Amino acid sequence: MSTTTRRDFLKTSALVGGGLLLTDPTSLLAQEATAQANMAITHWDPALLPEADLAGVATRLTEATMEAMGGMGRFVSKGDVVWVKPNIGWNRRPELAANTNPDVVGTLVRLCLEAGAKSVKVGDHTCNPARQCYRTSGIAKAAEDAGARVVYLDKKRFRDVKLGGEFLDEWPLYTEVMDADLVLNVPVLKHHGLTEASMAMKNYMGIIGGQRNAWHQNMAACLCDITRFMKPTITVLDAVRTLTAHGPQGGNPDDVKLVGTMAASTDIVALDAFGASVLGHEPSAITNIQAAHDQGLGTMDWQSLSPIERTLS
Amino acid sequence: MIWLRRSVQGLVLLIFLALLAANRPTTGTAPESPVGIFFDLDPLVLVGTWLATRSFADLSLLGLATLLVSVILGRVFCGWFCPFGTLHNMMGSLRRQFRKVRPRVEGYSRWQRAKYFVLVALLLMAVFGAPWFGVLDPFSVLYRSLTVSVLPVCHVMVSAVANAIYMSDPHLGSMHLRDLTEPFYIWWQDSVTGADIRPFQGSGLIFLIFTAALVFNLVRNRFWCRYICPTGALLGLVSWRPILRLVSDSESCNSCGACTMSCPAAAQPEKPDEWLGSECFGCWNCVGSCKNASLDFKFTLPGRGPAQGAIDLGKRRTMAAVAAGAGTLAMMRITPDSQGATNNPKLIRPPGARPEREFLQRCIQCSMCMEACPTGGLQPTWHEAGLEGVWTPMLVPAIGYCEYECHACGQVCPTGAIMPLTIEEKKQVKIGLAFFDTSRCLPYAYGRECIVCEEHCPVKNKAITFELRESKQRDGTVKTLKFPRVDPELCIGCGICETKCVFQDRAAILVTSAGESRNPDNQPLLSGASDSYESFDEEFSDDPYGSQ
Repeated sequence: MSTTTRRDFLKTSALVGGGLLLTDPTSLLAQEATAQANMAITHWDPALLPEADLAGVATRLTEATMEAMGGMGRFVSKGDVVWVKPNIGWNRRPELAANTNPDVVGTLVRLCLEAGAKSVKVGDHTCNPARQCYRTSGIAKAAEDAGARVVYLDKKRFRDVKLGGEFLDEWPLYTEVMDADLVLNVPVLKHHGLTEASMAMKNYMGIIGGQRNAWHQNMAACLCDITRFMKPTITVLDAVRTLTAHGPQGGNPDDVKLVGTMAASTDIVALDAFGASVLGHEPSAITNIQAAHDQGLGTMDWQSLSPIERTLS
Repeated sequence: MIWLRRSVQGLVLLIFLALLAANRPTTGTAPESPVGIFFDLDPLVLVGTWLATRSFADLSLLGLATLLVSVILGRVFCGWFCPFGTLHNMMGSLRRQFRKVRPRVEGYSRWQRAKYFVLVALLLMAVFGAPWFGVLDPFSVLYRSLTVSVLPVCHVMVSAVANAIYMSDPHLGSMHLRDLTEPFYIWWQDSVTGADIRPFQGSGLIFLIFTAALVFNLVRNRFWCRYICPTGALLGLVSWRPILRLVSDSESCNSCGACTMSCPAAAQPEKPDEWLGSECFGCWNCVGSCKNASLDFKFTLPGRGPAQGAIDLGKRRTMAAVAAGAGTLAMMRITPDSQGATNNPKLIRPPGARPEREFLQRCIQCSMCMEACPTGGLQPTWHEAGLEGVWTPMLVPAIGYCEYECHACGQVCPTGAIMPLTIEEKKQVKIGLAFFDTSRCLPYAYGRECIVCEEHCPVKNKAITFELRESKQRDGTVKTLKFPRVDPELCIGCGICETKCVFQDRAAILVTSAGESRNPDNQPLLSGASDSYESFDEEFSDDPYGSQ
């Protein structure tokens, strides 16, 4: 009982502190943020995008998006252990958009530490050999440079967890991820051969073990169950580069589209719905989004959250 | 001098182990350390591969230096350098520690000639293109045994302990035991073995042979080096009359026999005129053991110096060894695969492997490629390449696949059996072809969604495509499912589809050697002039497949 009290106290103080900081009247954005935005979308001016330094663009988009959400301090309490969960599934270079942008990951790590996190870990259950994926994706370096500890998942460290879902009752999840105070899910927006679009809900497949390939047989139900269990408070979507075909792995530079957008939301379903629309789909056409909406895990009518939308240049 | 020798031996053994660790899978490209230097220095690898290929192409000539040193100094390679020899020495020391028996005299045995006959038979086989000497070469034996058995055994133990401590988390207050074990475990994975335990099929037999070779030191000190080692035999031949020789002073010698008992090679140091230069390891034990300082190694001009003992191999015995080599090889070659009647579907060679005949001329079964393989898919063959190709590498997709962005195996191969292709060249090479078992594949056989194979296919634009088809379910409803299919023009046979298939007992998509670029006689699918097999030939015409 006492621990809950302490935690609640810390969270409240952090929120109050964050709120105080953000009442700077010179910032319109900050004024909006005090109203506790539920969704933020930040674009880079498309006209300037082809010439822009993408590392800088990714960093500033991430910073601006989190600022619009009320700052990382809204979600990270002092002393928290944060697990940043990018998509590092494939042994692919950042330009091929199969993995989350490394500068996005690095920036999020830095923001978490600035918000007072005790430690930040970065890891994913990869499809290709982990050390190669972490390295080729640029995420190992970006995360470590920002002060995170990169964790390679060990097959023997998954634990059966009671999900109590509508379809799945129990599934092995990664112990160290479960032990974290916050799991910061940060997928890359990309095409997927089975589900058409792979985003935040799908990205949770990187914290599960077992015979996870079997999820493909009922993807929507499985993704809903894991999402319900994870109860995300904040999810960030990387659409700086998106993979538009031959996903989730890609490999053809012609399939990569430079979009220059970052989004974040407290509602993971809304965020995925927004991502689907960026890829040109009706959100309801993506079965896991429709299912999650039906199960009340969030809303696929992302506009109803009145997102704070801005364009930087 | 003996301590100097022991220090050198220890250092070389450590370097050998460090270079083995440096060859662990890391980035998918060539390791920065000279991981193959021991094979470069190995004179048997040089002579044997040259006899097999009659070419110095892609061969290191460092082995010549070893031969030259041996002409001058005798078999110091065996006594001071060879890490396998050092392990035998250590076993011999253990024997002295644990068996408190009186040291016994192990004099010269005529059986020591066996290694020369082994060498003759192996070289004869090499001339006809089978470098079976790799099966018995000491560096190959050691590297192979460590890679496929000893290291995985250690890895299993380390990871079992580390994971048990991590998961149960024993702690006293804020002191957690895993805070001690985790840094070690991470170091072990990052610096010694790589992350995942890589099991190897048939490792039991390789481990048994390795252990037996070590245990036989209890029968005779350095049993392997005295009786079997073909590299030792080759060096024995060139150091028949070395420049550095054992010289004994018969006046001060009181025939106490201490030198004989200390000699690990049974080189007869006690007989002034019958010291065997081709057997002596130059270890200095005899000089060190002599209380009267009657023995010393001295440089003598060729043709001068004291008389020496000689080993008479005998013409008839040598001819018998030649016949044995020829007979063994012929026996190995009467398989349907060797005679070109069949192509073993399971024999998926690593990308860049030369055409089978040329490949076998060069592969010394050292397992360097297997150690470098990040997925553990490269496995030692048993019978798949015939007895002639035992313990050569093949990809077993059920265990691990060929990582698309990796070309480590060709980069580390010490003899060029696997060509050192660039990543982009390697991506063009077909090592096999995938096919569906539609009696298991989920959409075909069970009316369910899946396409895990398509998701993992790494080829640009995907070698697995799918077709939307309606599938009538038992309850009469109709589902639209994605039915996968392989595009044989794009499939390179990397095997990731088989590795990742939801069926983990026997995948519903399987890869065989069909269509492999290196074999023009294994091309089931007709292709036009734009086929990648042809264009690969043209593009890399200085080292083309299919030409002798």
